[in-house]
Amino acid sequence: MLAILGSLLLLAFGSGLVGSLSGLGGGVFIVPALVIAAHMPITVAVGASLISVVATSAGASVAFVRDGWTNLKVAMVLECATVTGAVAGALLAGMIPAVVLELLFALMMLQSAYFSLRKQGDDLVEHGDPIARRLELAGDIPDDSGKMIHYEIVNLASGGALMVVAGLMSGLLGIGSGALKVMAMDYFMHLPLKVSSATSNFMIGVTAGAGALVFLARGDVATSIAAPVAIGVTAGALLGSRILPHANVRALRLAFVVILILIAIEMGWRALQGI
Amino acid sequence: MAAIKEIQASPGEEDRILRVWTPVLLRTILVIATVILLGGLILMITQSPGNYVRRYHAVQAEHFAEKADFAEMLRLAAGGDPHSVMTLGLYVLTLVPLARVAFCFLLFVKERDFAYVGFTAYVLIGLIAGILLGRIG
Repeated sequence: MLAILGSLLLLAFGSGLVGSLSGLGGGVFIVPALVIAAHMPITVAVGASLISVVATSAGASVAFVRDGWTNLKVAMVLECATVTGAVAGALLAGMIPAVVLELLFALMMLQSAYFSLRKQGDDLVEHGDPIARRLELAGDIPDDSGKMIHYEIVNLASGGALMVVAGLMSGLLGIGSGALKVMAMDYFMHLPLKVSSATSNFMIGVTAGAGALVFLARGDVATSIAAPVAIGVTAGALLGSRILPHANVRALRLAFVVILILIAIEMGWRALQGI
Repeated sequence: MAAIKEIQASPGEEDRILRVWTPVLLRTILVIATVILLGGLILMITQSPGNYVRRYHAVQAEHFAEKADFAEMLRLAAGGDPHSVMTLGLYVLTLVPLARVAFCFLLFVKERDFAYVGFTAYVLIGLIAGILLGRIG
């Protein structure tokens, strides 16, 4: 038993560490780790991963909340879209064939890889959408010198539409869809990257929580797998967040992009073999 | 109204509540969940390691059915059944997002910002609907 438990904890720990260092979260690594290395069915991996995503998001948000970058209003408006997607995704996950899930997963990994490579910088706008102004979504954030910078928000509708997709993917695949969420906020809605990351982290926990509750209530979370995985991923993510300030982030990201692409190919290949 | 934003530099009362109490709340739930999960694992290792190995291989072969009856799970967990203790730990973990959204809901109610009370209520209902729909589905 100890050998099985130890390898499961180690797999989860590694996924949490890599997820934290790459900034992509544990889900995108723990699902393939469980499917490929531990030979688990993808639905079991998805259920275990959703629980871990809730735990790691909660751990990370302690720091984010203190820094004060989360835009709670943006999070709540967009969360309406992601929760809807997540509950629908989690309900559909039991009905969709494993091959389709594995293919979708491979696609999401490629999107994460693309997101990691994309040039990231703040592209702020001066005037927000009428709806965004009405909902008072704009905010202020201190720059590196401590000066407050005002940001406005645009394209709320397309951002919201992407969030439904992010929620759906989260419920279906057990991931936080952080890369998709940050991209929607940063690229479409023009929020500063720090605000996008912090707000996305808050949303990831809630979205994964919605999916996890569906899985738990349906009895689809294999406790024997999910419990050690949650502990391992959380411990790995904690260590990752300690190492991160001292790490060469750019080199790490490039290394993880290569890993992501390789896993995406492996998952895609497995899916195609199953057809 | 503006104090609701966590990005505010001037620490208003709501801002203080958010920044100080949210991390405390999150940490407390996380620690409780981790202790329960670890407790369940230790019980499993000491009491029924063979049972764990059987379950592990059953899961690999997709032959597993977790008890969906919450009351039964609670009763077994109270009796020290390792598997039910771990399941309880997983449920406690999912309280984290529920508690955070409920916390925001109360803050928006206090601010009398009814548009956001509506948005937050929708998210809360979505989370609770997840449990109900999961049972039906």
